[in-house]
Amino acid sequence: MAKVTVDGNVVEVPNDANALEACRAAGVDVPHFCYHPRFTIVGQCRMCMVEIDGMPKVQASCTVPIRDGMVIRATSEKALAARNATMEFLLINHPLDCPICDQAGECQLQDNAVAGGLPVSRTSEPRRLTPGYDRTEIGPHVIADMTRCIHCTRCIRFCSEIAGTGELSLIERGGHAIVWTHEGRILDNEWSACTADVCPVGALTTKEFRFRKRVWWLDKTSSICPGCEIGCNVSLEHRDQVVHRFLPRVNPEVNDFWLCDHGRFLAESLNGRDFLKPLVPNGTLPSAPGGAGRRETNWGEALGLVHEKLKAAQAGSIVALGSANLSTEENWLLAELFGKTVGSPNVEFEADQGPLRRIPNRKAVGADGGFVKGTVAAPNAKGAEAAGVRKADGASALGKILAGSLVPDVLYVSDAAFSARTADPAFAAKLRKAKFLVVHARVENPLTDVADVVLPVSGMTGKDGSFVNVQGRVQRFDAAFVPPPIVRTDLEVLLHLGRLFGSFETRWTAAHVFGKLAAAVPAYQGLTWEEPAVTGLPPSSSPAAAYDVLRPPRTSVDDTDKLPALAGKA
Amino acid sequence: MSEMWPAGYVPVLLARISRPDSPAIDGYLADGGYASWKKVLAGIATGEWTPSKVTDLVKASGLRGRGGAGFPCGLKWTFVPPKEKRGNKPVYLLCNADESEPGTFKDRVLIEKDPHQILEGMMLASFALGVRHAYLYIRGEMVHGAEVLNAAVDEAYAKGLLGKNVQGSGLDLDLTIHRGGGAYICGEETALIESLEGKRGHPRIKPPFPAVSGVWASPTVVNNVETLCCVKHILDRGPDWFRTYGRNEKNTGPKLFCISGHVERPGVYEAPMGIPFLELLALAGGVKGGRKLKAVIPGGSSAPMLTAEEVQSMPLDFDGVAAAKSMLGSAAIIVMDETTDIPKAVANISKFYAHESCGQCTPCREGTPWLNKMLKRVVNGQGKRQDLDLLVQVASQMGNGMTICVFSDAAIAPVLSGIAKFRPEFEACLAKAASPDFALTAPSDVTEKVAGRMAEGIHS
Repeated sequence: MAKVTVDGNVVEVPNDANALEACRAAGVDVPHFCYHPRFTIVGQCRMCMVEIDGMPKVQASCTVPIRDGMVIRATSEKALAARNATMEFLLINHPLDCPICDQAGECQLQDNAVAGGLPVSRTSEPRRLTPGYDRTEIGPHVIADMTRCIHCTRCIRFCSEIAGTGELSLIERGGHAIVWTHEGRILDNEWSACTADVCPVGALTTKEFRFRKRVWWLDKTSSICPGCEIGCNVSLEHRDQVVHRFLPRVNPEVNDFWLCDHGRFLAESLNGRDFLKPLVPNGTLPSAPGGAGRRETNWGEALGLVHEKLKAAQAGSIVALGSANLSTEENWLLAELFGKTVGSPNVEFEADQGPLRRIPNRKAVGADGGFVKGTVAAPNAKGAEAAGVRKADGASALGKILAGSLVPDVLYVSDAAFSARTADPAFAAKLRKAKFLVVHARVENPLTDVADVVLPVSGMTGKDGSFVNVQGRVQRFDAAFVPPPIVRTDLEVLLHLGRLFGSFETRWTAAHVFGKLAAAVPAYQGLTWEEPAVTGLPPSSSPAAAYDVLRPPRTSVDDTDKLPALAGKA
Repeated sequence: MSEMWPAGYVPVLLARISRPDSPAIDGYLADGGYASWKKVLAGIATGEWTPSKVTDLVKASGLRGRGGAGFPCGLKWTFVPPKEKRGNKPVYLLCNADESEPGTFKDRVLIEKDPHQILEGMMLASFALGVRHAYLYIRGEMVHGAEVLNAAVDEAYAKGLLGKNVQGSGLDLDLTIHRGGGAYICGEETALIESLEGKRGHPRIKPPFPAVSGVWASPTVVNNVETLCCVKHILDRGPDWFRTYGRNEKNTGPKLFCISGHVERPGVYEAPMGIPFLELLALAGGVKGGRKLKAVIPGGSSAPMLTAEEVQSMPLDFDGVAAAKSMLGSAAIIVMDETTDIPKAVANISKFYAHESCGQCTPCREGTPWLNKMLKRVVNGQGKRQDLDLLVQVASQMGNGMTICVFSDAAIAPVLSGIAKFRPEFEACLAKAASPDFALTAPSDVTEKVAGRMAEGIHS
């Protein structure tokens, strides 16, 4: 550690820190664009200019390694004049098309201009145009608009240094320089949309989110990507009960700053709701596809029917399927209810093996080659197992049902989409062989078409809980919004059903169940709901500035009254 | 052809250039070429010649870099970390032949007319620095020069002056000619290194300096073509002889001057360091058509402009030109007579810099085209009354540490010096402007402050 003085305050920073990081550690928000904690330092945006004692010229703080005893003047007149100058240069050719720019509201150029730019523009020259490089899809997910580019080259460095694919580079020179894909290539790698995250302006935006929502209307919820077992920390961003996007939430242990395209664009799959009330048979069993043989009812009748069927059935002939998509809390309740209370030996789950997913993480060294990897295409296979739900195989109940050698009295499916196979009507038909089929469902699929009882549940957006990722890390996700009145969370459904058996209380919450897990499940030992194993940072006000929260305390944008007086301000 | 040196002066660097077939190795050897190289090679075994001896001779000669900065050459060589500190990293010598400063064309003459002189200088410097592989980076546009150099390198290999175990000395030395892609910025030594490595020619953040981490992160010395030629002559004739040229101990040796613009005989001239400007002007036949001298750019377009009065008694060496608040740079002297439209000249120079900015740093990438657009407007009679102040203000916020390299300091020098010294001409342009609300205003505080800074010499 070294002691550095920033504007009169002494802070201790690691020896390998640079002057910019020292300023941030001291709570001085030195604006910057090209600096990013995971990229090489290029020092080319010249926004983070400060004065350093002993150096006659102003310095780009990110390029200056700190020394013990260094004295930095981050808000001196000379430093502010230098930063004002850079801001002016950045703005003379920027189109200032903020009203139609999708980055508006989370644009670092906008933020820094508001915080410290000149009050007027002094240029009257025509602004630079980039014909041929506007609003172009440069890959399956990313749209480039080079009139807005400020040449920070973060995206280039993401592709070359993090993704290792190097699709992007600068072409041309000077004021004509354009960030573009190499000739004959497209920006298509596993994490291509991260280039839009690191872009401080609206030069790179994602096709999927572009023009969907002005970002200041978005509510942000800490969540976990449901795409695979890596469990990337995401900010689930939504408005009016509609999910609009995932952004990575910084977690240096898991996904660092990144998110893969597969996971990121699952966000909108959380929308859609086909069931608003429980469905029960209308007396014309067996239920016909399309639910013709069912009618809508209330929870009391639906759960009462399920309770009755379970009581009437042979415990050994009851099969309950957990799910790697459900939280550990829900899987545990299922295991408790069906395994212990009902006494069924058949509480199991099946998770799909998916393609290999990778997320760059510099801590994943050695054989992992700098990636956290996952192959299970669901977020909580480890949690389901830890909760006591058994992994299905050919010899287990699910295997026997599929082979036709077991016809259960009751098949209770806690997640109608527990596997990709549920999209296959032939697969659903095999499960339908059960004498009584109950499913929890948010959207229709071949399995809900043939189920006797459909219990409408909220899906991830409406509930909280925890997942155990591929590393064995317990990570909590929060409820984004309250589902429609009749719709319940999986947890509530299980609690209500459990209450009929006298084993659960309906006032329990996920947090409460987490406490029970902590006592009963080794993976959860010593953890609390408030503080599960290292979980990511809260959603940031701006994705481009997400890493700011790594270096608290910082001056927030709201603290404008605390910002220093600006040179040149009228 | 009139002589390209003062009467009675015996040329050193240009001695062989007018000979027929001067680039060929046979003539060079017949003229005593490679004698120093052979002498040094032969003296390795006996211990008569050591790297430090060569470095000491160069230090003693007072040779300063001819590329523009005028940094003492021998001192620069000593910045290479010793073996204990650099470990297994090789040391590279990189000859900067990316001559592209507007007004400069001295290296080209040496390259095309006497390449072996350069190669011998590189060999001797390589020995002094412990280099096993030297590179010469030649400007992309110099196609003929590259051909000449490649032929010369082939000849040197054929004669056993390069390669493995050179002349039985036990020393290995390879030399590669590398052609650039044609960017001005690649003359900046760290951009040159990036370009040599196959990357975009972007200057690097310093420190680390190339002497510590240059080509492929190894210690590298970058020297100009003319500097390395001087090394050869210092080894031939000794540092005492070298110091007989020049005005004082700090400015020694023979020097090439590129004189262009409004003179009767523009071209490359050789003269002792410190020759008075007026003498050199006379050598070039004086101002064209006998007209009056108006302004001089003494060191390539990056050097601040000087007025006729300022150059009257100016000696042409590093300190002499610095005393006049400009710089000798690459000794590219651009002479402008009384017919010159200074605003147009400044606008023209600014166009060059707007075109050549590498685009890395914001102030330079955005500032150079801005200056150019404004100047273009001013000279086209579309200027506004704020424009002069704005030009000065914008230029003032581009230099002095605002960028990674000194390109933008170079780009603003002609603008700031032009406006400070020839403000009435710019104001005349504005007066022609069609703007109905045009009214000449007194220079603002800012302009005066900057003009004051100019007088103190912002480049000193």
